[in-house]
Amino acid sequence: MATLNLQNITKSFGAAHVLHGIDLAIKDKEFIVFVGPSGCGKSTLLRIIAGLEAATAGQILIDGVDVSDAAPVDRGISMVFQSYALYPHLSIYENIAFPLRVQSLPETEVKAKVGKAAEILKLTDKLALKPGQLSGGQRQRVAIGRSIVRSPKIFLFDEPLSNLDAALRGDMRVELSQLHRELSATMVYVTHDQIEAMTMAHRIVVLNKGRIEQFGTPMELYHHPATKFVATFIGQPNMNLVQASVLGTTNGLTVEFSGGQRMTLPVDCTTATVGSLVDVGIRPENLMLGDGLSMTVRVVERLGGVAMTYGDMPDGTRICAALPGDTPVAEGAVVGLGLNVADAHVFDASGAVMRRLNAPTLVV
Amino acid sequence: MLIDRYSWPQKLALYAAMAVFLTFILLPFLEMFRTSLSPMSHLFHAPYEIWSDKFSFDAYFAMWKKVPLLGRYIWNSIFIASAVTALTMIFVIPAAYAYARLDFPLKNLSLGVFLSVNMFTGAVLLIPLYRVMNTLGLLNTYWSMIVPGVAFLIPTGIWLLRSYLEKIPRELEEAAFMDGASRLYTLRRVVLPLAVPGIMVVGVSVFIGAYAQQYLFAITFNQVAELQPLPAGLNQFIGYQTVEWNQMMAAALTGVLPVMIVFLFLQKYLVAGLTAGAIKE
Repeated sequence: MATLNLQNITKSFGAAHVLHGIDLAIKDKEFIVFVGPSGCGKSTLLRIIAGLEAATAGQILIDGVDVSDAAPVDRGISMVFQSYALYPHLSIYENIAFPLRVQSLPETEVKAKVGKAAEILKLTDKLALKPGQLSGGQRQRVAIGRSIVRSPKIFLFDEPLSNLDAALRGDMRVELSQLHRELSATMVYVTHDQIEAMTMAHRIVVLNKGRIEQFGTPMELYHHPATKFVATFIGQPNMNLVQASVLGTTNGLTVEFSGGQRMTLPVDCTTATVGSLVDVGIRPENLMLGDGLSMTVRVVERLGGVAMTYGDMPDGTRICAALPGDTPVAEGAVVGLGLNVADAHVFDASGAVMRRLNAPTLVV
Repeated sequence: MLIDRYSWPQKLALYAAMAVFLTFILLPFLEMFRTSLSPMSHLFHAPYEIWSDKFSFDAYFAMWKKVPLLGRYIWNSIFIASAVTALTMIFVIPAAYAYARLDFPLKNLSLGVFLSVNMFTGAVLLIPLYRVMNTLGLLNTYWSMIVPGVAFLIPTGIWLLRSYLEKIPRELEEAAFMDGASRLYTLRRVVLPLAVPGIMVVGVSVFIGAYAQQYLFAITFNQVAELQPLPAGLNQFIGYQTVEWNQMMAAALTGVLPVMIVFLFLQKYLVAGLTAGAIKE
């Protein structure tokens, strides 16, 4: 059992306010990912949970107990660092055994625990080596090994895969998800990579400028982004935003684009006013060739299954469509793009979403 | 690496520059050695002769009779320099770590004050130091040569080691802290083993400093012949009528020899220490 509750955590470095009142309730055995652009405060928040930084105000509760002033080891937390933080002068065995040496456990117990961790992480034949003799992925596993021998209640990961190459990162994502199932522990994972967030998280915390923009499951964030920031941050390539003016608010939101095209979008438009400007968000994968918006094609990237088509609308707005790989579009041509109106997201001038009414209700 | 490839005129210029440099450094040693081999009668001989049939190692045997305590002086020199180095390192290591990692009031100011002490040479402070030694009753003991040596070498030692310790990634210490290790445990198990090359460099530079400065403190604070280090002991080759230059040079070379041998063995640490952290591993 390990729940983690953050209550009104704020952090300032002198005059710089990094976190503004973070409230978060993480359930037992959840895999939570903090994601956001650099400087959003995600690493600081993780370091506060770890006990490496003190919060300026607010409480941290683990299993309901206030640990705000406790040392990291007393919080039952372990952490894997971005740089792995392995001790270069110690063998892999001693690196993994380090937390147990600190507790001065008897050698037999150390041996058993290190052996078990090494087995889980497939490092058994590497124990006698030094960190410098291992590959990046193996070093990463040693760092994880050091964090699991202590059987902590909560694991923290600070961008652990960012030093690995793309192929290895894919493998490690799968391994980490598997490890999470095997250990059935609560994990908090920081990354700036939305693919890691989408693939590994039970729930994602999207942070922006020291505030939580949204906290939800990956598909919730994808289908129901709460703000324009979340909408453009989640999804690859980014969501297109096209400005339109509101013509009517009965039976959905009727909008007119600058090219004169009109659409009625099924969103909750009780807050919209006729004549105001909104941003219509359309994911590239929801666009298809057809009637609707017109685009002058600039670049076509054929990835095989998909042809990423980048272009400009008549008013200069950049737009991207993910069309089927064999779509006959040529660079420089003018094509029409259609969409299913149920797929459109609408954001008001403040960036807040008007909830989609006919969105898929996939529960994951 | 391609960047290390030189054309032959460049190589020629490099080697010429090195030759000039080495000549400047080594010529005094060669002259010392030549003098130590010459008989006294030959020393003031004109014209200058680089080599003569009369050269011999006689001075290396005669010097022990001329100055019976010579062995003692050599031992004293090494002992004093080693004691100064050991004591200095005991103070420098924790202090350098504190300056590298901890936050405390007046951190930069206090380090500046320490370093400003080094602006004064020992000679300027001799009289006040003499009074301090006198008050503490340390005159004419080994301590009178060790304590001021330590005091003058601590600031640069802190300065050198601090910059080395700062290069050790902070995350290593944070990882140890996460695992429940105390600062001292982390210092002992993580920081010090990684800082060995840096500690070697600082230790060697402190030792050289201690060796170099002991003459001044020895002739000022110590009158006991048995406690004199070699540089002060060499004075005894200066007689009322003549100076036994050949024996003095022989004694100086003999005294420096053990230190040189140790340095030859430490060389690989020195090179490692001076370049460590310069490249990403």
